Amino acid sequence: MDKYVCKLCGYIYDPEKGDPDNGVNPGTPFSEVPDSWVCPICGAGKNLFKKQ
Amino acid sequence: MSAIKLNEAVFWVGAMHWDRRLFDELIPLPDGTSYNSYVIRGSEKTALIDTVDPDCEHQLFKNLQQLNVKKIDYVISNHSEQDHSGIIPRVLSEFPQAQLVTNSKAKTILAEHLEIPEQKFKIVEDQDILSLGDRKLKFVMTPWVHWPETMTTFLEEDRIAFSCDFFGSHLATSKLFTDRDPKVLRDAKRYYAEIMMPFRNQITRNIAAIKSLNPAIIAPSHGPVYRDPEFIISAYEQWISDQVLPQVVIPYVSMHGSTARIVDYLVDKFMEIQIEVLPFNITVSDVGEIAMSLVDASTVILASPTVLTMAHPSAFYVAYLLGALRPKTKYIGLVGSYGWGGRMVEVIKPLLSNLNAEFLNPVLVKGYPRQADYDSLDKLIETVKEKNS
Repeated sequence: MDKYVCKLCGYIYDPEKGDPDNGVNPGTPFSEVPDSWVCPICGAGKNLFKKQ
Repeated sequence: MSAIKLNEAVFWVGAMHWDRRLFDELIPLPDGTSYNSYVIRGSEKTALIDTVDPDCEHQLFKNLQQLNVKKIDYVISNHSEQDHSGIIPRVLSEFPQAQLVTNSKAKTILAEHLEIPEQKFKIVEDQDILSLGDRKLKFVMTPWVHWPETMTTFLEEDRIAFSCDFFGSHLATSKLFTDRDPKVLRDAKRYYAEIMMPFRNQITRNIAAIKSLNPAIIAPSHGPVYRDPEFIISAYEQWISDQVLPQVVIPYVSMHGSTARIVDYLVDKFMEIQIEVLPFNITVSDVGEIAMSLVDASTVILASPTVLTMAHPSAFYVAYLLGALRPKTKYIGLVGSYGWGGRMVEVIKPLLSNLNAEFLNPVLVKGYPRQADYDSLDKLIETVKEKNS
């Protein structure tokens, strides 16, 4: 599964880890992360991530 | 300032910081600021909503004493930043029976910054209700205005939304309530520009959450309380919208006059063609005024001389702010001067990559501007005119 990087702050979404603090379970591919999810570091929307 | 009654059950017990002139060692406060804290007396329980900056803790305790508050059951923390949370440990020690009510994200931040013990916390989630007896508080998660943990507390019976920093303004005033005061609007816009603008996209969702409560009053944590919520909500809706105004902001710095001459030329020409132009000499400008100008403007032209091959540090500062505040600017220009060479474009452009803006052809002048340079500036002006028509 691909990792995605936040274009604003550089945070890397790792699908293996997910973002459990914000309701995204480990093992969730980026495409299945809800659209309402935002970068946990800077608040950027999902549309501001690019494939690493 | 003394405690102020909002109604028979709700009292302002916050602090006025009349003479504070800088926030975060960064943001100028021409009108000081306030830290609003509120006591709600239910028939069974008493709640305190947020606290005040540690510099002003005596004001909060004096107000609680004046109101003869002997018991606090719940301290509600809408936002973990220290200007609202910093004296929570002191409040919990004065009122040992009180529970600290907040969300799970805030709990982590508060526990780590203020060393609040685990057993003090009562964790709430979105739409949870807390009864004070004859009055109920509803918690609404409003993340990213302006930290990930920010929330709003809604007093249902009185329809008061305690929105914390959301909708706030840095303004110390003896008038707790505001209706449609242009000064409050200006300070709220400044606050939006400095604090909230980077989270424009998240604000849309949070405005919807606040509107769904249909509040009669919005009581933020800084500045006056809005008795006419539509006033501030509609202003926010305008600021966060994608609509820009045909304005050209020109933050500039000049060392020996070449860049200043370029800026003079641009300003004169934009005035001639009746495009609003807002020049700011960076070295003498209030950075909040620059930020505020970025809320609506379609175009920014940064102007800088070259120092040691780079842009002037003041120009770097503004470029950095543009990248951090992420205004809805659509067009960005770069003009300036150099003596024998330099890397102005290469060093400034990456700082602006966060903006969803078109980078116009830069105009960099060797020495003092001459006819060929004015021709290039005319082309830039023409482009800006076309883009804004």
